[in-house]
Amino acid sequence: MTPVAGGVALSLAFGFGLLTVFTLLIYTKNQDQRLFLVGQRLALGVSFFIFLATFILSYQLIISNFDVDYVARYTSIETPFIYKISALWAGQSGSLLFWLFILSIFSTITILQNQYKHHELMPWVIISLTVTQIFFLILTNYVTNPFKPTEADFIVANGNGLNPLLQNITMAIHPPTLYLGYVGFSVPFAFAFSALVNRDTSPLWIQSIRRWTLVAWLFLSMGIILGGWWAYQELGWGGYWAWDPVENASFMPWLTATAFLHSIIIQEKKDMLRLWNMVLIILTFTLCIFGTFLTRSGVMSSVHSFTESSLGPIFLSFVFFIMIASFGLMYSRLDDLKSPKKIESFTSRESGFLFNNMIFVVLCFAVLWGTLFPVISEAIRGTKITVGAPFFNQINTPIGLILLGLTGIGPLLAWRRTGSKNLIRKFTLPIIIFFISIVSFLLIGYKGYVVISFSLCVFVTTAIISEFYLGIRVRKNKFKESLHSALINMISKNRSRYGGYIVHLGIVFMFVGFTGHAFDREKEFSLQVGQVEHLAGYEFELVNLSESERPNHYAWISKLRVTDHQGQFVTNLYPEKRVYFHNNPDINRRQPHSELDIYSELNKDIYSIFSSIDNQKQIAFLKIMINPLVRWVWIGGYILVFGTLIALWPRKEE
Amino acid sequence: MKNKKFTLLIIGVVAVTGFWISWVSYNPSDEKAMATFVSVNELMNNNINKRIKLGGLVKDGSIVISETNQLECNFILKEGSSELYVKYGRTRPDLFKDGAEVIVAGQYNNGVFYADELQTKCASRYEGDLRNESSYNLTEVQQ
Repeated sequence: MTPVAGGVALSLAFGFGLLTVFTLLIYTKNQDQRLFLVGQRLALGVSFFIFLATFILSYQLIISNFDVDYVARYTSIETPFIYKISALWAGQSGSLLFWLFILSIFSTITILQNQYKHHELMPWVIISLTVTQIFFLILTNYVTNPFKPTEADFIVANGNGLNPLLQNITMAIHPPTLYLGYVGFSVPFAFAFSALVNRDTSPLWIQSIRRWTLVAWLFLSMGIILGGWWAYQELGWGGYWAWDPVENASFMPWLTATAFLHSIIIQEKKDMLRLWNMVLIILTFTLCIFGTFLTRSGVMSSVHSFTESSLGPIFLSFVFFIMIASFGLMYSRLDDLKSPKKIESFTSRESGFLFNNMIFVVLCFAVLWGTLFPVISEAIRGTKITVGAPFFNQINTPIGLILLGLTGIGPLLAWRRTGSKNLIRKFTLPIIIFFISIVSFLLIGYKGYVVISFSLCVFVTTAIISEFYLGIRVRKNKFKESLHSALINMISKNRSRYGGYIVHLGIVFMFVGFTGHAFDREKEFSLQVGQVEHLAGYEFELVNLSESERPNHYAWISKLRVTDHQGQFVTNLYPEKRVYFHNNPDINRRQPHSELDIYSELNKDIYSIFSSIDNQKQIAFLKIMINPLVRWVWIGGYILVFGTLIALWPRKEE
Repeated sequence: MKNKKFTLLIIGVVAVTGFWISWVSYNPSDEKAMATFVSVNELMNNNINKRIKLGGLVKDGSIVISETNQLECNFILKEGSSELYVKYGRTRPDLFKDGAEVIVAGQYNNGVFYADELQTKCASRYEGDLRNESSYNLTEVQQ
């Protein structure tokens, strides 16, 4: 009975959605306030029914009602409680419902927050958000309904269970975080679209969506980093980023959104780049939907892809619909989007922002190009080509390094134009330190990109520190404050600026981590108990092999004793070889899984994988990797989140 | 400051990066940057000697693991009625077994395919039909 209620709720949401759009469209013609109120409430109704449907599906997952196909497919009785919940976004139809759920949260917040604000903009904001909801409601109602009953002429006693790869706490929170980011951009997009319809060219709407954009950006960043972290801990290939199509799909909107976050500052402060900002926010939202399409369609082979591919054409149509509607509307409003002011000089902060924007967009295009290259190549030349990580690394490394350099240069430039005196004063120290680091890294024996990257990291850090130092010195002299209170007051008076600098510092840490990849070492070997193997000055001894039976899997555990080149004990590693569903009589339904073990230090990770075991001869097949500086990536992630939170923190007077 | 200069700058940046992207697309420096996907038949008939990718099923009972080096193995890859002898010397993925659907990348030389990459398909268990466990999509790969 209850699953039916879920289906009904989805249908009602769809109906309410159509009514909302219809009512508000009439309102925009006749301006009858009652219709606006009705439309607003209908829109809240859409979200309400989506919440209801989501709770019903979660409940079915918790009580393991295998009459629902989705429940039977992604959970089993033994699935731990938390993963029964996370199964909500483990499969195709459930995750689409979850997308809707988050969109509905955002839509509800937007409507309630702006009940007495932005009266002109709201009708079209609500229409845009509801149209997006309607699209996903079409999918969940008619294409892949999460409440579909089990198609079996027998009673399903137990479900399939959740893929062991997904039974990891990071994996339980990575998709929701990413979705919060993806979906979050629909709000700024809705405002931009509405501003276009209303010919509202004031920087007002930009201010009102800046915080939304930053929130969405924060979640998208966290989602991407968590995804990398999960891949690193769970997938066992020793890396965190593979330029997989779906990873790229999340990275592309991140790039355009980052560009947008920078260029809206110019529109806010200088009322320039109106048109460009429109383009960026439309692109970001389109890329979010496109990313969801890449994940769903099965067009790309990827670890992330879902099997069913019937969604592809529908998604693609929606992507085209958004692009045609938004860019068409933008074209008809070109006159309103002309900015009254022009950039005055190359050595201005404006021009720095403009340059940074171009590079972000170019980088986004490069990623898009590599992602679609197999599809393009197959369509044009008829040969199927796969593009691997080295391709992306080669193209994107120099572009990324230019961006890194701009991170240091941009903030040192003054608005309008930096006088030559100022230029010398601000740049002398960072540039001297930059050249000193180049020479030192060359002397150490590093080469090529490694030298450039490390030196740029030093350069940017110097620039950021000197900005903090100058700001603090001014306050100390002017207000006679102590160092500590000068720092606190300086940041709290100008949160977005200094929060931004802290984010930049996080990016520097990440670049240090990325550069560490150049020094990766790995070795695959087999060991019997008591034997040793060497890699990069470390000695690995297989001390013993043990076995353990646990509730949902069977594990073989190898104990590896790691010592350094002086014979000093470093750590014991316990990588495991597991078989999930080991009690299943059908051998093909048992699933092997390598649970790796990582020893992590600031300057390197020792990464061990127990890939297989020869039971008769007691031989363990192992893969060891030494991954320098990986920790810096995660630390950079924390710094980035911290900096964004500072920028987001509300001011007292607000 | 004239806007013209900025237009030129933008055109310059676009031109340089456009050139860079197409240059790398035609001459990737790493041989693993790109690989062409071919069928076993195409490979046999054309005797391609550059790096390629192939997909197929592991023939039942064909996996032989070397006595001297446990990492080394060879097996027969089946695609329809065509068969290919494959040698592989690195860590085997969890799901590599008889009948598994795999994708290999490497070089073909004198009747032997020397694979340096071996990927298995994601277990159908989690996506396929509840009763028919072999119903999976060809485009899905587990890395």
